[in-house]
Amino acid sequence: MSINPDIKIYEYDAVIVGSGLAGLAAAKELTEAGKKTAIITKLHPLRSHSGAAQGGINAALGEEDSTELHEFDTVKGSDYLADQDCVELMCTKAPETIRWAERMGATFSRNEEGNIAIRPFGGQSKPRACYAKDRTGLAVLQAIYEQAFRAGIEVFDEWYAGDLIYEDGKASGVVAYNIRNSEPAIFNAKVTMFATGGHARAYRFNSNAHANTGDSLSIVARHGLPLEDMEFVQFHPSGLGGSGVLISEAARGEGGRLYNSEGERFMSKYAPNAMELASRDVVSRAIMQEVREGRGVGKDGQSVNIDLTHLDPEIILTRLPELRELAIAFQGQDMLKEPIHISATAHYSMGGIPTNINCEVRKSPTEMTEGFYAAGECACVSVHGANRLGANSVLEALLFGRHAGQNMVKKLDEGIELRKAKPSDADTMLAEIEKIKTSNGNETVPGLREELQTGMTADASVFRTKESLERQIALIDDLLVRFNNIRIDDKSDTFNTELQEAIELGHMLEFSKFIVVGALNREESRGGHYREDFPTRNDEKFLKHTYAYMDKEFNISLEWGDVVLGKFEPKERTY
Amino acid sequence: MSEVKDSRKVTIKAWRFNAETDYLPYTKEYTMEVGKDELILDLMNRIKWEHDGSFSYRRSCRHGICGACAIKVNGKSVLACKQNAIELLDLFDNDITLEPSSKKRAIKDMIIDKSDFWEKHAAVKPYIVADIDPTPETETKQSIAQFNALLDADLCIQCGACHYACPALEVNDAFLGPAALAAAYRFTADTRDEAKEERLQITFESGSGVWDCVKCFECAEACPKEVNPIEKIGKLHNMQFEYGVAESNVATRHAEGFLRGMKKTGYLDEADIVTYSEGLLGTFKHMGTAMKMMKSGKIHWHSGIPFINSIPKIKNLDEVQKLIEISQTNKL
Repeated sequence: MSINPDIKIYEYDAVIVGSGLAGLAAAKELTEAGKKTAIITKLHPLRSHSGAAQGGINAALGEEDSTELHEFDTVKGSDYLADQDCVELMCTKAPETIRWAERMGATFSRNEEGNIAIRPFGGQSKPRACYAKDRTGLAVLQAIYEQAFRAGIEVFDEWYAGDLIYEDGKASGVVAYNIRNSEPAIFNAKVTMFATGGHARAYRFNSNAHANTGDSLSIVARHGLPLEDMEFVQFHPSGLGGSGVLISEAARGEGGRLYNSEGERFMSKYAPNAMELASRDVVSRAIMQEVREGRGVGKDGQSVNIDLTHLDPEIILTRLPELRELAIAFQGQDMLKEPIHISATAHYSMGGIPTNINCEVRKSPTEMTEGFYAAGECACVSVHGANRLGANSVLEALLFGRHAGQNMVKKLDEGIELRKAKPSDADTMLAEIEKIKTSNGNETVPGLREELQTGMTADASVFRTKESLERQIALIDDLLVRFNNIRIDDKSDTFNTELQEAIELGHMLEFSKFIVVGALNREESRGGHYREDFPTRNDEKFLKHTYAYMDKEFNISLEWGDVVLGKFEPKERTY
Repeated sequence: MSEVKDSRKVTIKAWRFNAETDYLPYTKEYTMEVGKDELILDLMNRIKWEHDGSFSYRRSCRHGICGACAIKVNGKSVLACKQNAIELLDLFDNDITLEPSSKKRAIKDMIIDKSDFWEKHAAVKPYIVADIDPTPETETKQSIAQFNALLDADLCIQCGACHYACPALEVNDAFLGPAALAAAYRFTADTRDEAKEERLQITFESGSGVWDCVKCFECAEACPKEVNPIEKIGKLHNMQFEYGVAESNVATRHAEGFLRGMKKTGYLDEADIVTYSEGLLGTFKHMGTAMKMMKSGKIHWHSGIPFINSIPKIKNLDEVQKLIEISQTNKL
């Protein structure tokens, strides 16, 4: 017997969860191919965090640039953990993809010849980041949304997807509820895609939107499916000192310089050639090292200065207007006149739901699921390996989102069948909601969440040790137990955002454990993962992808998957 | 500016309502210490996280780019995640009430039903109309000047602040409103678009289009991204003439009437503009106003009668006429 035998069951060819660049690009392909497609999003598509990307989107459009250089920079940036076949696909198709976005209406800034303007970014041997002032993500998100809307996509906005329907290696849709009135429904589909974005909200000091709670990761994990390379979290060098809100890499790309409290341009010690434009992991570690050694500025000496005052004001006003406004709004500092306080902020997840090059979700390093796809930040295809290059994320989301859509069309044309959903498929989600609404303990959602976030920033951040990671695992285990003892004030069925925050916290606790356990087991330092007790890279043992699985008691077990190597042999990485 | 303290203790009021359970809205008070760098969104989070978990509002990006958290504070439109709290506390003498951007559309607390906003957005063909090459080998060329001609209209984040601040929309449900019209401009001004005339036609419609804007500048004031919708509405007016979409009706003749007077004397001819735009018969319904204007000396008994020059001519009229001639895009 099911909890709600009368639950509404919708049938679709394809169901997509998430409506950022990846979800919209896939939905557009499917809809234009005549496939009945539903997008489910807990926001409105235009509120998606893709729109927050500021600095650029990479494509080798410059005269001196080449696809192969883009590939090399990406692989080197990844500390050789990226799968090189996927990197090759991405970099080869990047120019076409950017131009497609431009044709769709993306408002790219232009150079004197009227072509798309490009700027330098960190870790790149040539200027390569195509940009729309300092709101590139917004420009591209708007363009893909506009054309998807024009194609007639069907969006269920402000719906929360709470569970995946998955059995015997095959996915057949999702269970969701309408946030407006709590009405649940089953979205039964032949092919299902997750494109839910990132999860850096697990950290106290982060650059992410409130929505970035990584819901789909633990949903996948609860079905016994693996998550890949979760220990690799990117800490962006320039979060605003107080809030973690992002100041784009474009600030350094346009010439911004970093100084410590002694007025020393400290990057010369860490990356003498690339200086401020070294890879993000390198710059973030340098900043935190300066702070640890007492050369920080601002509140509690937790920040360093980024100085743009030597630039022509016209450059700031025309290319970085949003950044200037943010620094003024958040900490009252005008970059035209003074340096800005910044610090490394949790920003991006390299790991996620493992997929093959066609965006099909893996059941293990060697086996595939059926009818199940993922793309964008929630997925790990893996083009970023251990550290993502700036301006590759928007590219990945748009390009692989579209690629996933095309592969889903192909799969549907091959005749994949609908496995009919039954009302009991909704039981897990309905029971979860009921449990949270009726739980009458003495813990609060904001309280537990803050403990998690504070612990993650303190113990699973830029610098990690065995002790710090074990401490964080113990904390998460404790929080997972205490989560059973929460109480929420809001019992209403109308926009119950407190219920939603509680469900999201459950997800955050679970996937955070993947981050920390992965980090504990990877006894080396590579890209964004730095172990003070194992400060060097160990290719012999760890040139491998982590695959982690969770059981019903939240125990996590690991196995290793092969990295796809190619034309670039692993070498020592310096900038 | 007075000395800036790091924080102050205040009582914040919030407008509360749940359409599911409440017959009437009510106000609740929350006392808290507000820091100098805190934003209105921080205050909303603190009400929810420290006082009452049922307090509801939309939010996501927390840095002014997703447009989810537009609300009103004491009737003033703000984007909660970009608005410094102390600044508003100073402005309103430490007495602020958080309100939804449109009370009559409220579903729960700050959350409103925005379907009218999205319907109007959808009505202006808010996308580039063109055959889009799925695998292009080159981009479209667009000069820096052509790019700049968008006037940052593409920076609109659909927060609805201007839409729910617009007094014309408040009394005229059919009016497209500043956000949709700014969007109409954004696509019409784009060199890549091929539906300019169609969109200009949509925005020309009387009742819903640009001619129903009352030019009060509330939208420019409300916009947190400085999109300046009224500027775009003005541009659309001009484009309707340039593309020959504008037809002779009361609204366009009213606009032309201004110019007509300026050309003749250099002054605004209040009587002539009425007779020109509404005809002699139409003028009758304004007799009441005319009498009042006559009393205050704005028009004279002989104003509007042909062949009597009731308005003096300004000095350098020829220069004004020259300016009109070179800038004019349509024939009177």
